[in-house]
Amino acid sequence: MKRDPIILIVVAMVISIMLVFGIQRVHHAGIVPPGKLQGKAAPDFSLPTTTGQTMKLSDFQGKAVLLNFWATWCEPCKVEMPWFVDLQKKYGPQGLQVIGVAMDDASPKDISAFAQKMGVNYPILIGKEEVGAQYGGIEYLPSTFYISRNGKVIEHAFGLVSRSEIEANIEKALGQQVATK
Amino acid sequence: MTNRVLCAGVILLMSIAAHPQDIERTKAWVSMVPAELTSIDRGKPGTVDLQFRVARGFHINSNQPKQDYLKKTELKLDAPTDIVIGRITYPAGQDRSFPFAPNDKLSVYSGDFEVGVTVRPLHNVLPAKYAIHGFLKYQACDNAACYPPKQLPVTFEVKVLKGQGPRKKNPAQSPHAHS
Repeated sequence: MKRDPIILIVVAMVISIMLVFGIQRVHHAGIVPPGKLQGKAAPDFSLPTTTGQTMKLSDFQGKAVLLNFWATWCEPCKVEMPWFVDLQKKYGPQGLQVIGVAMDDASPKDISAFAQKMGVNYPILIGKEEVGAQYGGIEYLPSTFYISRNGKVIEHAFGLVSRSEIEANIEKALGQQVATK
Repeated sequence: MTNRVLCAGVILLMSIAAHPQDIERTKAWVSMVPAELTSIDRGKPGTVDLQFRVARGFHINSNQPKQDYLKKTELKLDAPTDIVIGRITYPAGQDRSFPFAPNDKLSVYSGDFEVGVTVRPLHNVLPAKYAIHGFLKYQACDNAACYPPKQLPVTFEVKVLKGQGPRKKNPAQSPHAHS
């Protein structure tokens, strides 16, 4: 059977365009396709805190970590922050540690003031591009990675997602079954 | 022949589909509509209107966002010697609320917006076309995420005309002047 190459090319182009837009929609919806980090060890890093100390991801070995990249100029990030405060209170005793990484050009003082105003009860680190690059390049804010107790990235989400989705991922990272809502 | 065409199609398919994130990374959320050449008499100010377009589904903060921690949209220009960049006039932002904060209003630009630039060539500038370069600093968001601040290169040309030249103050009357 002889196929018309022009038709095949047109079909290929249509599929490509649908694929590209489909993947972009998935990104925007916060449903992230399996990334390169998924199931792999979370890259360790060392970053300064807003108070001038240095903190490593490996300092939280054995804990489930919610690693949230954010910025003061990111309005959707502000929506999640009070949720993280609540979830840190709720799941902290079970071994959750929320960590915020500010991908910001504001001064540590301003970042600290902003976090304080938001009532943040978890450490805020001053981000660096290199650390963002370790996590696949942070092109969207907020970007959140869920790290299991054994240090593996089990989930990640780009953009604002629902509180229930965040909570489900935390429970997954803690090694619990997702509670029935 | 058919096989070659098929291979080209497959390569095209792979090149388009393989790197959606790369496409996102290089994407500019704001573009500039090529500016028309504006003629300005030397020694006098003239206004150049620059038109920008925010990609559909995105917004950027206006030049006067309501919160000081938000990144304002700002035009930075670097003019040739003896061409002075004066006032830059930004449009008022649209007060809009978004799904991520339905109770808050943000001052933003979306769709098309225009920025006016006052340009004043000094009297000593030679009549000619001059290019003015700079960039538009902005920070874009959509309904669920924000993107790192970007700088859009901006270029436009002005044509400096001879005009009437500087007016001399009370030219002295020569005692030897002949009518």
